[in-house]
Amino acid sequence: MNAPDERIYVVDDDPAVGKSLSRLFRSAGFDVLAFDSPEEFLRQLPREAAGCVVLDLSMPGLDGLGLQRELAARTCGLPVIFLTGYGDVPRSVQAIKNGAMDFLTKPVDGEVLLRAVRRALEVERSTRSSRLDLARFRWRLEALTPREREVLGGILTGRLNKQIGRDLGITEKTVKVHRGRVMEKMGAASLAELVHLADRAGIRPS
Amino acid sequence: MSWVIIIWAMIVAASLTLAAQHLLIGIRQRALANLLFAVSGVSVAVIAVFEFLLMRADTSRQYGELVRGIHVPIFFLVGSLVFLVWSYFGAGRIWLGVAVLATRGAALVANFLHQPNLNFVEITGIRKIPFLGEKVSVADGIVSRWTRLGELSSLLLALFLVDAAVTVWRRGDRRRAAVVGGSMILFVVFAAGHTALVHAGILSMPYLISVPYVAIVLATSYELTFDVLRASSLTRDLQESRSALRESDLRLALAADAARLRFWSWDADADEIWTVPGEGLPRGDVMDERIDLRRFFSAVHPEDRSGIWRTIREAAEKGGGFEREYRVVRPDGDIRWITLHGSGDIDAKTGVARVRGVSIDVTRRKAAEVEAQKRQAELAHLSRVTMLGELSGSLAHELNQPLTAILSNAQAAQRFLAGGDGNLEEVRAILDDIVREDKRAGEVIRRLRLLLQKGEIRLEALDANQLVDEVLRLLRSDLIGHGVTARTEIGADLPPLLGDRIQIEQVLLNLVTNACDAMASATSAEKRLVVRAQSANGNGVQVSVVDRGCGLPPADLDRIFEPFVTTKKQGMGLGLTVCRTIIAAHGGRLWATNNDDRGASFHFTLPGAEGART
Repeated sequence: MNAPDERIYVVDDDPAVGKSLSRLFRSAGFDVLAFDSPEEFLRQLPREAAGCVVLDLSMPGLDGLGLQRELAARTCGLPVIFLTGYGDVPRSVQAIKNGAMDFLTKPVDGEVLLRAVRRALEVERSTRSSRLDLARFRWRLEALTPREREVLGGILTGRLNKQIGRDLGITEKTVKVHRGRVMEKMGAASLAELVHLADRAGIRPS
Repeated sequence: MSWVIIIWAMIVAASLTLAAQHLLIGIRQRALANLLFAVSGVSVAVIAVFEFLLMRADTSRQYGELVRGIHVPIFFLVGSLVFLVWSYFGAGRIWLGVAVLATRGAALVANFLHQPNLNFVEITGIRKIPFLGEKVSVADGIVSRWTRLGELSSLLLALFLVDAAVTVWRRGDRRRAAVVGGSMILFVVFAAGHTALVHAGILSMPYLISVPYVAIVLATSYELTFDVLRASSLTRDLQESRSALRESDLRLALAADAARLRFWSWDADADEIWTVPGEGLPRGDVMDERIDLRRFFSAVHPEDRSGIWRTIREAAEKGGGFEREYRVVRPDGDIRWITLHGSGDIDAKTGVARVRGVSIDVTRRKAAEVEAQKRQAELAHLSRVTMLGELSGSLAHELNQPLTAILSNAQAAQRFLAGGDGNLEEVRAILDDIVREDKRAGEVIRRLRLLLQKGEIRLEALDANQLVDEVLRLLRSDLIGHGVTARTEIGADLPPLLGDRIQIEQVLLNLVTNACDAMASATSAEKRLVVRAQSANGNGVQVSVVDRGCGLPPADLDRIFEPFVTTKKQGMGLGLTVCRTIIAAHGGRLWATNNDDRGASFHFTLPGAEGART
C-alpha cells in the first residue's frame, strides 16, 4: 500500500513492457503512471513528486543514465530502480555510482521487483520528511538577513551570545535581538529545536 | 611373205585386243563408254575380215555378198561411235547424231532390200590388181545411187565428230579433243573418203576401212595408258592420303582424349556423324563406323535432350555458332557435365547442311565450381554466425522485452485472480497481451534462425527499403547501446534487387556494425550514421553506409577488404572479405571512400531484378 500521492513512475520505451509493469504494480495495489519516453516523463513530473521511478536503462535519445542525471539535477528525491535487458556492466556500475537504488535485469520476477519497489518507497518516505524539512529550512534560511545568518551559524556551533558578539563585532544585546528574530523566522521554540531542525535538514555546521 | 595377211591379221588382232580390254574395263567399272568401244573394236575386226575376204574374192557373186555383209559391222561401228561420243565425251549435237544413225540405218535396210547390195546395181566382173606385192580383187560394175546414202551418213558422221571435238576443245579438255576426237575424224574422213573415191571409179583399190582405224587404236591406247598411269598414281596418292588421314585422326583422338573433349561433325542431310574419339572404343582409337545423330545423343540426360536437339537443328537450318551445357548419363549411372561449342553452316555449292562441334567434359570443373560455391557459402555462414555472436547482447535485449512483458503480465494476472475481486476483463486483456508478446518473441527467434541458417543461395526480388529496415531493427539495441542514431535515405521508386536476402542482410549488418565501432570514440552528437539507397545509373541499386568516425587512411581503402586485415583488437578480419565475395557473387561491387567532412562511407551496388546475372 502506498501513502497518498505516492506513485510509481515507469519509464520504458517499449509500450508492452510499460503496460505489463503497470499491471503488475496495480495488481499489488500501487498507483502507477507509465511513460514511453523520458522527455515526456520529465515534462509531466510534478515538482513535489512522491514515490519511485522504475527506469529502463537503454532507451533511444535520453537514456536511463541521462535521465538519472536529470533527476539528480532537479534535486528530485525519487529513488531510481533500473531495469535492463542489455547486460552492460560499465553502465550498470555508472548507474549505481550515480545513486541508483537498485539494478535489475529483465525479465524480472514480479516478487523481486515489488520488493525493490517497496524498499525504495520506504526509503523515499523516510527521506521525504527530511527533504521537506530541508526544503523548508532552506526556504526559511533565505528569509534571513546576512547578519542573521551569521548569528545562526554561531548559534549552531554552540557559541554564547557574548562570544558571537565578539566574533561579529556587535554588542551582546544586538546579538540577542538577532537571535530572537532568527528563532522566530526559523520556527524554532528553543535552541534544541533549532539544532534538531537543522539536523533534520541535514545541515551540520562546520 | 604376204603383207596383206600380216597387216590385216594385225588389224584384226589389234582391234580385238582393244575390244577385249575395253570390254573388261566396261564390265568391271560398269562403264558404257568402254563397252561401246568394245563394240567398235569387234566391228572393225569383222570389217577387216570382210575386207580380207573381198581381196581374195574370185567371183562377182562372192564379191557382191561380201559387200552386202560388210554393211552390218559398218552399221554397228557407226552406231557405237556416235553413242560413244555422246556418253564418253558428253558432246555432239543430238540431232546430228540421230541423223547419222538414221541414215546409216536406212542404208542398211536399203542394202538388204537391193541386189546385190547398197553400193552396186550390178557387179560385172572381178579384176586382180597389184597391191602390196600380190594380186587382190577389185570389182567392176555399176555403182548404185544408194551409195550416196552411205556417203551421206559418213559425211554427217564426220560433221558430228568435228562438232563434238570442238565442243570438248572449248570445254578445255584439249588433249582428249585433239587425240581421241582427232583420230576419229581422221578415220572417218579417210575411210569414207577412200571408199567414195573407189566407188566413183577414181581409185582402183580394195576397201581400206579398217586400216585408218589403227589411228584410233593408237590414240585410244595412248589415252588408256595415260589413264592407267593416272589411276595408279591416284591410287597411290589416295593410299597416302588415307594413311595420313588416319594418322591425323589418331593424333586428334589422342589430343581429344587428353583434353577430355570430342570433335564431331554431323551431316544434316545424310544424318551421319563423324566423331573423334569414337563411341565406346578404347581410348585413342578412331571410329570408322558412321552413326546417326540420335544414337550419338542417346546418352544425353532426358531433361537436356530437347534443348540440345533444338540447338543443333537450328544451327543446321540457320547456321551460326552456339554454346550449351548439358548432362550425359553414363551406362553406370554416372552423370557428367558437357559443354558444347559448335557451329552450323550450309555448303554453298552442294547445299549440304553440316554442324560441327566440340564437346568438352567439364564435370571436374563443374564439381570444382560447386565445391567452391559450397565453401563460400560456408564461409559466409561462419562469418554470419560470428557476427551474430557479437550481436548477442542486442539480440538478448530483443528477446528480453517480450519476455519481461509476458512475465509481468502473468504475475499481475495471478495477483488479480488471487485478490478475489477478479476483474476478468482485465485478465482477458492480460492474456491477449501475453499471446501477442509471445509471438513477438517468436518472430525474433525466427529472424535469428533465418539469419543463422546455412542454406543454399536463394535469389529473389528484394526491396531495398525492407532490407535496410530489417537490419536496423535487428541492430536497434546495439545502436542504442553504442549511442548511435541511424537515419535512412531511401530513394523513391527504387527497382527491386536480385539477391539472397540473408547474405545481403549480412553485408548490411557488417557494414553498420563497423560504422558503429568506427564512431566509438566520437562525441555523442557526432555518433550519427546514414544508410542511403539510390538508383545506380539505370541498373540496380547503390547502398551506402556513411559514418562520422575517424575515416580510413587512403592506403587502406582497398586493403581492408583483404583477408585477415582488421583494425579491431579481436576478430579475424574476414568480415569485409566475405562481404566483398558476397557482393561480387551477386554481380555487384563493394568499395570504401572517405567522406569530405569526416568519417568513411562503404558503398555496394547490386543489380536490379531484371538484368541480373544468374
